[in-house]
Amino acid sequence: MICTKMIRRIAICFLIVVALTALLPMRYEHQFRDSPNAGPSRQFLLGTDDLGRDRLSRLIYGTRVSLLLATSAAILSCLAAAALGGLAGSGIADKLILGAADLFLSLPWLFLLLMVRAFLPLNVSPLISVTITFLMLGLLGWATPAKVVRAAVRKLNASDFMLQARATGSSRLLSKHLIPNVMPILWAQLWITIPAYVLAETTLGMLGLGVMEPLPSWGNLLRELEGGGIANHPWLFAPVLLLAAVIGSFQVIFEREDYSV
Amino acid sequence: MLKQLTRIGVLVFAAGLVSAFLVSYAPGTMVDERELDRRLNETSIRELRSNKASHSDVFGNLRRFMVGLTKGDLGYSESNHSPIAALIADRAPETLREIAVGLAGGWVLGLALAIPKRGFSVLAGLLLSLPTALIAYLCLLAGAKSFLVLVIVLTPRIFRFARNLLNQAYTAPNVEMARARGVTETKILLSHVLPAISPQLLALGAASASMAIGAIIPIEAICDVPGLGRLAWNAAMARDLPLLVNLTMLVAVATTVATAVAEMANPE
Repeated sequence: MICTKMIRRIAICFLIVVALTALLPMRYEHQFRDSPNAGPSRQFLLGTDDLGRDRLSRLIYGTRVSLLLATSAAILSCLAAAALGGLAGSGIADKLILGAADLFLSLPWLFLLLMVRAFLPLNVSPLISVTITFLMLGLLGWATPAKVVRAAVRKLNASDFMLQARATGSSRLLSKHLIPNVMPILWAQLWITIPAYVLAETTLGMLGLGVMEPLPSWGNLLRELEGGGIANHPWLFAPVLLLAAVIGSFQVIFEREDYSV
Repeated sequence: MLKQLTRIGVLVFAAGLVSAFLVSYAPGTMVDERELDRRLNETSIRELRSNKASHSDVFGNLRRFMVGLTKGDLGYSESNHSPIAALIADRAPETLREIAVGLAGGWVLGLALAIPKRGFSVLAGLLLSLPTALIAYLCLLAGAKSFLVLVIVLTPRIFRFARNLLNQAYTAPNVEMARARGVTETKILLSHVLPAISPQLLALGAASASMAIGAIIPIEAICDVPGLGRLAWNAAMARDLPLLVNLTMLVAVATTVATAVAEMANPE
């Protein structure tokens, strides 16, 4: 038990260090034209890519893009889930919201993302592509958290303290009783959703439908692996190790069976 | 049963409608890559645009599609220059084979690894930390067969679900009583634990089919397997609306049937 707690603390510390490092000012787009495809050196710790851009700078900036936007998308999903899951309690609203959630869950998430992302304009700027990618993640991923919130709200509505609050004519049912009790569930959903969105962006990026170049993200950084030559350039694995360590840390803190991407 | 069938029908129709809406009203729908071809003159480009515009009526398209569906005609894929029904019939066996082998391997390995009390948890955690596309790429690098990717993707998921179920089942009073009486671990597993968790395992079986369907697109796209996943990816890249809507509905049918089976197996 003490060991598990210690591992969790280490994972939290690691995530904080990664998040703070990702905020360092980096020039990800600067080209060192004299040294394309350079190996690791004192100047370039992870070498440079074929356009002469420092890989470490791109990895740090890509971490910022992936983590910041996955968190934003997760917040968007959880807010939508809280609103819709909270509304779905009884009557027609419940049936409609549950039906919509079933509809979203009936299509594999990646399939839906792939479809919508592919039909966006061909000439979008990197900034728009990053916004669209994560906006889609946020808007399409509300169904599962909404079902969880709905179940919690229904359970709370049927609880004794809510009955008592209603009987005493309490006017602050929502703010005093419902929201404080649903918040831990929403936090847990947020914590589960962030790594799922990071992995979704990575898969989309590897398929060429994620964040557009020159803006780096874990998805398009991993796409570099497809160029081959990993046996001779093992430092290309740095984004893989960082991704595995970050998602692994999320899992250590809050274990989940399926991220489904 | 009838209620479930009606639900599946409604969900599949809604999935088709939603996908048709999404692709019809996406900002880039009216753009055709062929317009960039400098060899085309004004008239040809105008023809391309009017062709695209004729496909923008969502309800009309869906009605035509439904009428065609009753006759076994799923439409025509512009990007593949082939009837969609023939494309699906041609690609489906490969995908079904991949999914069947992936599910069988994932289940055998996942269950086998979940039964012992220790081990595999760390590796399962590591595998769950990697996106499917990356696992597919790493397998491709290692020269592994494509069906192995799905096995590697599904095993840790099935392992974690199964391990949690088994952990719960092993703490049941009847299991403790059997242990106290000196019943062997194998007999406890076969006579007490597995029967107790069989409804949940059946539900997990259906859920894992849904997971496999979701994972097949990046696997086939990266490993270059000529299946439905790759067809969907190509259709998305080529903005082939009719093919994409058909594949969406097919995927929706498969997923909703799997979900319905899971719900029937384990209503909780």
